[in-house]
Order: sequence, then structure tokens, then C-alpha cells
Amino acid sequence: MNNTYAIETRDLTKRFADGTVGVDGLSLRVRPGEVYGFLGPNGSGKTTTLRMLLGLAAPTAGSASVLGADPGSTASLARIGAMIESPAFYPYLSGRDNLRVLAGHAGIGAERIPRVLAEVDLATRAGDPFQSYSLGMKQRLGVAAALLKDPELLILDEPTNGLDPAGMAEMREFIRRQGGEGRTVLLSSHLMGEIEQVCDRVGVIRRGKLVAEGTVAELRDRDRLLVRAEPVEEARRLVAGVRGVEDVTVVRGELRVDGEPAVASEIARALVRAGVRLHELRVERASLEDVFLQLTNDEEVAA
Amino acid sequence: MIESIRAELLVLRKRQATWILLGIWTILAAVFAYIVPYMLNRDAANPAEEALLRQLLPDRLVGNISAGFPFYGGAFALMLGVLAVGSDYGWGTFKTLFTQGPGRLRVFGAKLAAIGIGLIPFVVLPFSIGSISSIVVANLEGAAIDLPSLGLVARGLLASWLILLAWGAFGVLLAVLSRGTSLAIGVGILYTLALEGLLSALASSVSLLDPLVKVFVRTNAYSLIRPLGAMGAGSAGDGPGRFAGPFVSTTQALLVLALYVVIFAGIAGLSLRRRDVA
Repeated sequence: MNNTYAIETRDLTKRFADGTVGVDGLSLRVRPGEVYGFLGPNGSGKTTTLRMLLGLAAPTAGSASVLGADPGSTASLARIGAMIESPAFYPYLSGRDNLRVLAGHAGIGAERIPRVLAEVDLATRAGDPFQSYSLGMKQRLGVAAALLKDPELLILDEPTNGLDPAGMAEMREFIRRQGGEGRTVLLSSHLMGEIEQVCDRVGVIRRGKLVAEGTVAELRDRDRLLVRAEPVEEARRLVAGVRGVEDVTVVRGELRVDGEPAVASEIARALVRAGVRLHELRVERASLEDVFLQLTNDEEVAA
Repeated sequence: MIESIRAELLVLRKRQATWILLGIWTILAAVFAYIVPYMLNRDAANPAEEALLRQLLPDRLVGNISAGFPFYGGAFALMLGVLAVGSDYGWGTFKTLFTQGPGRLRVFGAKLAAIGIGLIPFVVLPFSIGSISSIVVANLEGAAIDLPSLGLVARGLLASWLILLAWGAFGVLLAVLSRGTSLAIGVGILYTLALEGLLSALASSVSLLDPLVKVFVRTNAYSLIRPLGAMGAGSAGDGPGRFAGPFVSTTQALLVLALYVVIFAGIAGLSLRRRDVA
């Protein structure tokens, strides 16, 4: 493994006892100091991947290196702050006492606790039991716990879940700030706006496989063709058969075609020859949402 | 490690369930070791009842109060062990703890140590209530207040603590294997009542069961406190805690109980270390 990456996985695979494949040969690289967005629909394998990176789950195959050490090793965990899924704390303990417990296990001085509580704006409610917190406060305590070790790497799994719009904006600003301070952040999310706003690079995961990786701009810059034709299914079948077409997706009754713009004339010819009514054929620059839908929408992917 | 243990003691100390278990166990110990026997035997009319009444006097404190530990106290220790570890599955707090960096076994070791320390009041409080109760009985009966020797009290405290520790470790093992609390408590109570209880009762008539019964926690626990004057060892009433033997030597009882602590904790620790955390 190359230690120049904060996180590097090679063919990381997780097969569960029931035979389901949660993560399937995933290879990704997160560079030090970047905010990396891990984008994928629910159930695509994001959390399972993060669990393996933290040593909470053992991979079935493949390997991973986190901050140059094995996932779950003391050497790596000592430098990682993480919040996986919903924040999990002792419900009867106050926010402060929960952090005291974590600080005790991590071997961190108690003087960090008021600082991280202040950083997430939870100081005034720190003495209240965790079970009395709103969802947003619970998320903020989760972030405070992740910051406790002053980590080099932050792994945040859907940190804006349950937050109101103001809370989401605050959280995004917080993540951006962490990146600006030189921390590496691995941010898992299914929210494209979130990823678009805060991440330097993005990896898109579908059914446990990394289907795209690059900067937001790189992903968006993938030119493609938009085709409006009827009947849609017949058009999709014909377009999928055109040489040079890489992928065809039906989104809201339109065909979105991956491939060189030069195939446009071939597509037009194939459709007209088959008697399909062609209403529109043009080159389109994709939004991140379009890219995401195209990459992750299983049912509508053809070709 | 000390900081980890402190952290786990905080978790245990601030949990209401810990105090509820301690409170109920202490009250039960006083009720069944002193209050009920005194009410039943205060007008002793025959030598058997007089013997039962004498058992309530201060010089018999260690034997009288420790007789409740192998079964009743054990059930409370088992529940404490289950709750102290099994709840971390329900709340998802294992994933939070395990990502702090000290290693799973250190977290587990700290939890075990906290349970061991947390069980000390489960021994000291019943003994304290028992000593007060025995002095009250002596006053009521006009008997002399002869306190047991410090050595005997210390042996009683340690033996009782080891018994609770073995049951607590069993609770921890059940919690880890079932990854929760409900099933672990159910199976644990069923084991103590149905398996150990029934088979122990049958052992006197079915000699084939003898070797099996001799390795039961309850058998070794009763055998450990028998030399301390626990009359319960052999005639602890007709309830589910009744035990009439077979008994093993004190040395064997000590070793077997200590071995149970190691085995239960060892299997639980290995299982916790190897399995994925949801």
C-alpha cells in the first residue's frame, strides 16, 4: 500500500453470512488534506465500507490502509475521529459524561471536552442526559466525539441526517472548515448538494462498486447526448445498439446517452431508419444529480 | 487501562438499573436471611426452631448472609453482567467505544474490571444490613452480641464476591453471545433455575448426575461457603435456591469458580474481538 494516501483500499470486499455482497472489490484513494465525498444511494455499501475502514467489520477479501496502518489498529484509530450512522451514546449519561467515557478510553485529557463541546455549540446543554437531546443535538455530540482526539482524519457518515436546514448549513460549513484546517475528511452521503458544496473529490458507489471517481467538476463535465424520441423503449433499444454508445439511461422519459458526441449522427440515422419519431437530439452537460442518477439508477440503466 | 476502568465505572455508577439491582438484592437479603426467619421462629417451640433462631445471631452472620449468594445473589450478579455489556449492543455504543482506539480487548477488560468493582457493594451492603439485623435480633431475644472474627468476615466477603463474579461473568458471556440483554437474561435465569436447580435436586436420587452437578456454579458456590457456617448449604428452605448437595472440597470450589470467571470472560472476550460490530 502506498502511504501517500490517507485512505487506500484495494479490491475491498465484504460478503455477509447470508451471501449478500455489501462491498464488491472497492478500490479508492483519499488524499491527505482533501474532503472526499463518498456518494451513493441508501444500501449501496457506504456504511459497510466505513465500518471496514474503522475495523468494526472485517473484510472478506481485499485490503485497506488508513493513515498508513491497518484498519482498526490502535495506530490508525488514535488519529481518526468517526461518526458512523446515527450517533450512539449512553442515553442516561449527559453529553459531557459521554465524552468523559470516550476520553477515558482514548487516553485523552478531560481538558479537550469543553473545547469540543464549544466547537459544536453544545456547551450549555452538556449537562443534560443524551436521551433528552434533539436529533440535531445528538448529531452535534457525535461530531464533538469525533473531534475529541483532534484527529488527522474525520470519517463522517451522513452527518446531516435529521438536521433542519440551518443545522445542515452549519454542518456543511463545519466540514468545509475542517478541510481548510488541513484535516482529511471522508464524508459519506446520499445528498448530492451536500457533496457538491463541500467536497474536493467524489467517489460514487453503487451496489458495493465504485462506479465513478473524480472532482465534482470532472464528474459534471462528462458531456453526453440527450435524446427525446417515441416510443421510448424502442428508442432505448436502438440507441443501446449503436456502436460507440457506452451507456443509456431513461430519465423522465428522455434518453441520456454516454458516449462520444460524434455518435449523434449514428443515433439519428438508426432511429429514423427504424421509424422512431425523433423530437430532439442534443449534447448536454450533466449536473451532478444527473450523473448520480445515471450512475446509480439500476432499473433504468440499459446498454 | 486505569482511565478505561474509570470510564466504565462512570457508565455503571450513573446507571439507574445498577442501583435498582443493588437495592432489591439488599432488601431481599435482609428479608429472607433475617426478617422472615425471625418472624417464623421468634416463638421457638422446639430445638429445630431454636437452631434456626440461633442462626440469626451476630456470631452466625457470615454463614447466614452468605447462604443467599450462590443462588439469589447470583441471579442479580448475572443480570448486572448482562446489562453492563449487553446494553452496548442495543444502544450501539460498542461502535463508538471501539473507534476510540484502545483496542476491543482493553475496552472489554475495563468493562469486566468495572463489573468486578461494581459487585463489591453487592457483597458489602447485604453483609452490613445483615450485621445490623443480627444485632437487632440479639437485642430482641436478649442474647449476647458476639461478633464473628474479622478473618471469618473477610473470608465470607471474598467468597461471596467470587461467587457473584462467576455469575456476573456468565451474564457477560450470555450478553456477548446473544448480542443483547433480553435473551441473555432469559437464558441465564432459565439456566440457574431449570438446569442447575432441577438437576441439583435430582442428583440425590440419580447418581449418574453427580459428576455433572459437581461442576455446576451453584454446587461450587455452596461448597465454598459451607465451611463458613452457611446452614443454607444443605437446608436453605424449599425455594428455588434450595441445595442439598453434592458438595465438593473448598479448594476445588475455589478453583472451579475462579476457572469459570476466566473461561466465561475468555470466551466472551474472544467472541467480542472476532465478530463484526453492527
